[in-house]
Amino acid sequence: MTTPATDDLASGDAASGDLASVDAAAGAADAAAADTSGDRPGDRPANRLAAHGLGLRYGDRTVVDGLDLELPGGAVTAIVGPNACGKSTLLRGLVRLLDPAAGTVTLDGSDIHRMPARALAKRMGLLPQQPVTPEGITVEALVRLGRYPHQRMLSPWSKADQAAVEDALARTGTAELRDQQVDRLSGGQRQRAWIALALAQDTELLLLDEPTTFLDLRHQLDVLDLVADLHAEAGRTVVMVLHDLGQAARYADHLVVLKDGRLAAAGAPSDVLTAELVERVFQVPCRVVPDPETGTPLVVPRARSRAAR
Amino acid sequence: MSALVMSAGSFARRRTRTAAWSLLAAALLVLLTGVALGTGQVRISAWDALRALAGQGEPGNVLVVQQFRAPRVVSALIAGAGLAMAGSMLQRLFRNPLASPDTIGVTGGASFGAVLMLATGASAQLIPLAALGGGLLAALLLGGFAWRSKMAVTRLVLVGLAVQQGLAAAVNLMIVRFPAELASSAMQWTTGSLYGRTWTEVTIGGTAIALTAGAVALCQRRVAVLDLGDDSAGGLGLTPGRDRLWLLLLGITLASLAAALTGPVAFVALAVPHLVRLLAGPPTLGTLGLTALTGAVLLLSADLLVLHVIPVHGLPVGAVTATLGAPWLLVLMIRQGRLPQRSS
Repeated sequence: MTTPATDDLASGDAASGDLASVDAAAGAADAAAADTSGDRPGDRPANRLAAHGLGLRYGDRTVVDGLDLELPGGAVTAIVGPNACGKSTLLRGLVRLLDPAAGTVTLDGSDIHRMPARALAKRMGLLPQQPVTPEGITVEALVRLGRYPHQRMLSPWSKADQAAVEDALARTGTAELRDQQVDRLSGGQRQRAWIALALAQDTELLLLDEPTTFLDLRHQLDVLDLVADLHAEAGRTVVMVLHDLGQAARYADHLVVLKDGRLAAAGAPSDVLTAELVERVFQVPCRVVPDPETGTPLVVPRARSRAAR
Repeated sequence: MSALVMSAGSFARRRTRTAAWSLLAAALLVLLTGVALGTGQVRISAWDALRALAGQGEPGNVLVVQQFRAPRVVSALIAGAGLAMAGSMLQRLFRNPLASPDTIGVTGGASFGAVLMLATGASAQLIPLAALGGGLLAALLLGGFAWRSKMAVTRLVLVGLAVQQGLAAAVNLMIVRFPAELASSAMQWTTGSLYGRTWTEVTIGGTAIALTAGAVALCQRRVAVLDLGDDSAGGLGLTPGRDRLWLLLLGITLASLAAALTGPVAFVALAVPHLVRLLAGPPTLGTLGLTALTGAVLLLSADLLVLHVIPVHGLPVGAVTATLGAPWLLVLMIRQGRLPQRSS
């Protein structure tokens, strides 16, 4: 399947017109397929992150070992796996928060460890798992810090900076909260403020480390819908670490499954997420059924054998 | 619409409040400078004293003010401003409200340098230089012990305490072996005092502090980004370990320069950033200016008390800042806890 890039973009636009996430998921699967098939023509960067023989370590402990991975540009990728499988570590390695013990990470072919930090920060934004909220900071002041990579030491606050901040506030629905203190917001609001900071950074890639942890279901869905909208409307390439397999399958075009720091599987959720894989990776016997809402794979753990009771 | 107007007002409110407090602090600073320059055996009105500082008015007044009183007053202002700015920087870099030159080794280092110089019997003019060197030695130790953990904040706090305790112990060891007279002048110096400052010291110290303070102001955005945690800062294009090391060096240099001028005056660096936060909100470039002004006012007021109010001869100003500052900070904290939450 070799969809030309123009058709690919058009299908993305069509998906954004519809509200149903089914279309987004289906369109994005095409996008993922198109992306792995070859280079996009034109000047636009492909925003393709890749790891080559990547090894990541904390002290003496090897967390990720010899990982080869290519993440499609222009798509939503979810990294999943059991606890301590190295998924957050991998994300930290992909944004250069960790220096590789072996191998390289490339963005459109160039080694990110050879790029100036600021130049990289103009292309990749990050929402860490546990960001520190400075005491008393307002939402707007927080979001303004997202402009840091675009500012020179003495450059004053520009119209472009303010426009990016306004856009980020509007997209995340935090404009009315702009004068509120971030440390007094609810968990869901606070997470949206932090996403707004990453948006103000105005990068084509957005990496999120477990953006739904500590949120209740309503706010989990809010955050994931927001991410889906960013992908559909603003064309961002998204890479996120998620816990919930069903959510990952619904919202991602491309799934990366890790086990013990190694790649267990990667590809479109409907291809990758099988009962056999879930049992192998998570040690959970299960059935995989189509999600009644979206048709994407849904993991249903098997009940403990009735005979055992 | 009304929400929009309200929010615009609220965004400006913090700035207005910062500007108003800065104006007040500046006025207080001028007034106190006048009083300090005018008070002593020869009494001069505050206004005449300020004119005499500029070389106007009676020649006798000009001599007294310019040659005898001004160096002390100006050192108090410069050192107070420097200590307060350094304290604000250190508290943010350590992400710890208790971080100050007293808790991270600068005080220990500066005292160590100065006392070592006293012990060798070298010229008294070298003491400020030795104090600066000692402060920077503390920075070196801090960086050396914390570098392997990428300057992790938790590690820095512990290493800082250890460096401070180690150097303070070395100072005590030396002082115990000193003859009584030397021990007394060592105690005087290590508490922080403004006696016998000369124009040469003030000019050199003042220039160095002004330059360093300028660099601190230029780095405010970087400090604000580091406030978001190392992961966010990394995502925004900083290299947290390296950037923190440089900013820390800058903050410690500022604190060491102030300590070189007046000795390690306690409490200004710790208290002023908290006071400014209570008055004007979280740190910005504007509140940094207010921090400097407040530090200057605080140290000058303490020195006025030492010179003209408290009837103890030769009391070091650091003793006063610590004695008065501690309960005052406690009261502020308790009051803040009681206040109804005003914003939002």
